[in-house]
Amino acid sequence: MTSTAEAVGFWLLAPLAVVASLGLLFARKAVHAAMSIALVMIIIGIFYIMQKADFLGVVQVFVYTGAVMMLFLFVLMLVGVDSSDSIVETIKGQRWASLVLVVGLAGVLLSTIGSAVFDEQKVQAGLDKLVATNTETGNITGMAELIFGPYVWIFEVTSALLITAALGAMVLAHRERLSPKVTQAQWAARRIKDNKNVAGLPAPGVYARHNAVDTPALLPDGSPSDLSVSRVLVARDQVATTDGIRDVERHLEREIEEGSAR
Amino acid sequence: MNEPYVPVLFMLGLGFVFAAGSVGTSLVVGPKRYNRAKLEAYECGIQPSPQASGGGRVPIKYYLTAMLFIIFDVESIFLYPFAVAFNQLGLFALIEMVLFVLTVFVAYAYVWRRGGLDWA
Amino acid sequence: MSLHLLVDQAMTAHPAASALVTALPAATENPSADFSDTPWWLALLKAVAVFVYLLVSTLLVIWFERRVIGRMQQRPGPNRNGPFGLLQTLADGAKSMLKEDITPDKADKLIYTLAPLITATMAFVAFSIIPLGGTVSIFGHTTPLQVTDVPVSVLLVLAVASVGIYGVVLAGWSSGSTYPLLGGLRATAQMISYEIAMGLSLVAIFLYSGSMSTSQIVAAQSSLWYIAPAFFSFAVYVITMVGETNRLPFDLAEGEGELTGGFHTEYSSMRFAMFFLGEYVNMFTVSALATTMFLGGWKAPPFIAAINDGMFNGGWWGLLWFTGKMWSFLFVFVWLRGSLPRTRYDQFMRFGWKFLIPITLAWVVAVAFIRGAQLGFLGDSRIQLFGRFEIGVATLTIVGVVAVIALAGAWIWDDKRAARLEAADVAPPDEIDPFAGGYPVPPLPGQRLREPGSQPGTLIETAPGSKEPVLSGSSSTGGGTTVVKEETHG
Repeated sequence: MTSTAEAVGFWLLAPLAVVASLGLLFARKAVHAAMSIALVMIIIGIFYIMQKADFLGVVQVFVYTGAVMMLFLFVLMLVGVDSSDSIVETIKGQRWASLVLVVGLAGVLLSTIGSAVFDEQKVQAGLDKLVATNTETGNITGMAELIFGPYVWIFEVTSALLITAALGAMVLAHRERLSPKVTQAQWAARRIKDNKNVAGLPAPGVYARHNAVDTPALLPDGSPSDLSVSRVLVARDQVATTDGIRDVERHLEREIEEGSAR
Repeated sequence: MNEPYVPVLFMLGLGFVFAAGSVGTSLVVGPKRYNRAKLEAYECGIQPSPQASGGGRVPIKYYLTAMLFIIFDVESIFLYPFAVAFNQLGLFALIEMVLFVLTVFVAYAYVWRRGGLDWA
Repeated sequence: MSLHLLVDQAMTAHPAASALVTALPAATENPSADFSDTPWWLALLKAVAVFVYLLVSTLLVIWFERRVIGRMQQRPGPNRNGPFGLLQTLADGAKSMLKEDITPDKADKLIYTLAPLITATMAFVAFSIIPLGGTVSIFGHTTPLQVTDVPVSVLLVLAVASVGIYGVVLAGWSSGSTYPLLGGLRATAQMISYEIAMGLSLVAIFLYSGSMSTSQIVAAQSSLWYIAPAFFSFAVYVITMVGETNRLPFDLAEGEGELTGGFHTEYSSMRFAMFFLGEYVNMFTVSALATTMFLGGWKAPPFIAAINDGMFNGGWWGLLWFTGKMWSFLFVFVWLRGSLPRTRYDQFMRFGWKFLIPITLAWVVAVAFIRGAQLGFLGDSRIQLFGRFEIGVATLTIVGVVAVIALAGAWIWDDKRAARLEAADVAPPDEIDPFAGGYPVPPLPGQRLREPGSQPGTLIETAPGSKEPVLSGSSSTGGGTTVVKEETHG
């Protein structure tokens, strides 16, 4: 039977898991949804540990929370959560196929949970066997004996799955370079060869009263140098003008002239 | 004590209480002086880029990194029980594991060859 | 350069080290530490003690780091607050407590607050399975100096670390600002990349110990520390632990020149301090794990352990040895920071993905074969070496094959590198035309100058009305690259 500690843990965590799962469905922001499912994953891991499946529980946290959810987060953050989903069916009969799969999965889950609920003796026998294995051979060793015993084919097929994953990632996310990458040294060499901006582009103006990167440097004749501001800032129309600074400069010059004339 | 995971939760609780406590205290103790510029995103003085939290796009390179991470993560997950139980498993498991590592290595070599491991 | 050293090391030290391995595997994978006489309140007490130990250590290490780096840079470092400036960190902490806690307008308030809490909390959890000493008696209960131990301890540390990464990535995202987003993603990609190599390097230890429980691993090292048979894993682990903790030379996530503060740019006050705390506690965690996995954990160093029938090799003494070993790693962290510049991001990722991961995988397979040979999976025949040592033929063969492969690999790599360097090192021509490019170029040592008049098409004349010599014509190879004085800023 379930021990008190296990029951307390379950009734504390299970509602939390349910709330987090609902968060996945109803959260306004995609990252919030991803966080709630990460929480669900961690709670499932704790449940496994409570059921004496130490290795499985920790691996659940390690792989699902650590790796899979991280992938989700990356995608959500990078691709932009606002892009609306297309509701056009790209693969024919996709909906029907997924419906069939959902029904199948629900059937499997229901039958398993049902057998756990109604056939308490079998469950207890399984749990006893697990506890015995944990103390005698050890949880991980028992697991390894299963992986490299009856399930060795599934284990080997997993590697094929991993290859497929790598292929998929490359096809979807990798863009091959058409021209070789120009290194810093090559850029420098090219600059010298072309004899253009040999000393690098001019730095933006540095003024005591204003931040510099969006303000063009002033050339010796007082005109602003367009080369000195980033083209990103130019495109965003964020370049500050130098008129005020030049006015001050002219004023100073005039004063100096006056001073020398006097 | 026969619940070896409970002390882990003690540690978790202590860490959380300490962190939340000190953040909470600083919220109470610290000054509050409103300044609009202070609440803007920091970008070394220029106007903040409009893209950060919205629908901006950043190269998807990191997606590939995360995917490769999963692949190797799963591989190492299989290596752990193998390593722990190695004494009991024997030669057959050793051969199986070498086959597995080699197969995953094919994926790795493919990604390398296609330039998936180059950071531009 | 470091690659070269590693491969060299692999070549030379290998046969000797593997011949040393005689440590027997543990009988079972379950923890050897006995917690049956530990009531829950004692477990809580130990958790609090470890927590305080970590906090005090963090206060000390920040002072230590600043003092040591100060010495390395020939300045005193903080020396005003308290004796030797020991209270400097406390003063800094109190100061950050009294600073304004700013939440930017664009930030996602909930996650922005949650992120530093995740980082700080997760940093402490991993320490609960680190064995700090032997079995002692506290208030009449016999208990090990370890908060707890489980059969999957080391994996638990890795899992907790991977949850801790959420703090970084969420901090970056929730700030609603460009630099933190980029810094957070960069830090995350960096941590997960090095986590693989770290996890793989530990597989060799599990092969030797036959367990993932930390107390069992320490117990299995009573005759030989795993740094000897798994020396390559140790090297990989030390590299990856610097990468995992975002410390120099791998602190790309906070490359000040490119990303200002990285993921915590927008953070201030105590929320920033939590990231700071998390970073330092993580340093302690990886150092403690290294101590446990490779340096025999809390066991006394070999010669001290032999004194008076293991008088110093257990109980509370373990705490001393453990702390000493752990702090030696922290000194390395500080030393690295004091001496190395930051690597470039692409170099860092290339090193992780193209060198560390494949070579660690190869090492794990090699160790599996060596272990297999030792355990007699590959045949049982044994021979006498020098009339004294008895050693398995299979062991000898496997070690030989591994050594030859490592040697051949290093040789090929070295050859390729030499060829590449030679190809890159093109000797300059004997004679140069100083005005070929349009402006005067001084000759390199040993080069002769070509006389200006000797080359048809290149001559210097004085333009009418100008005092400066103006170049006309072009170099001997160029198809008419006339040089125009640039006046872009007119």
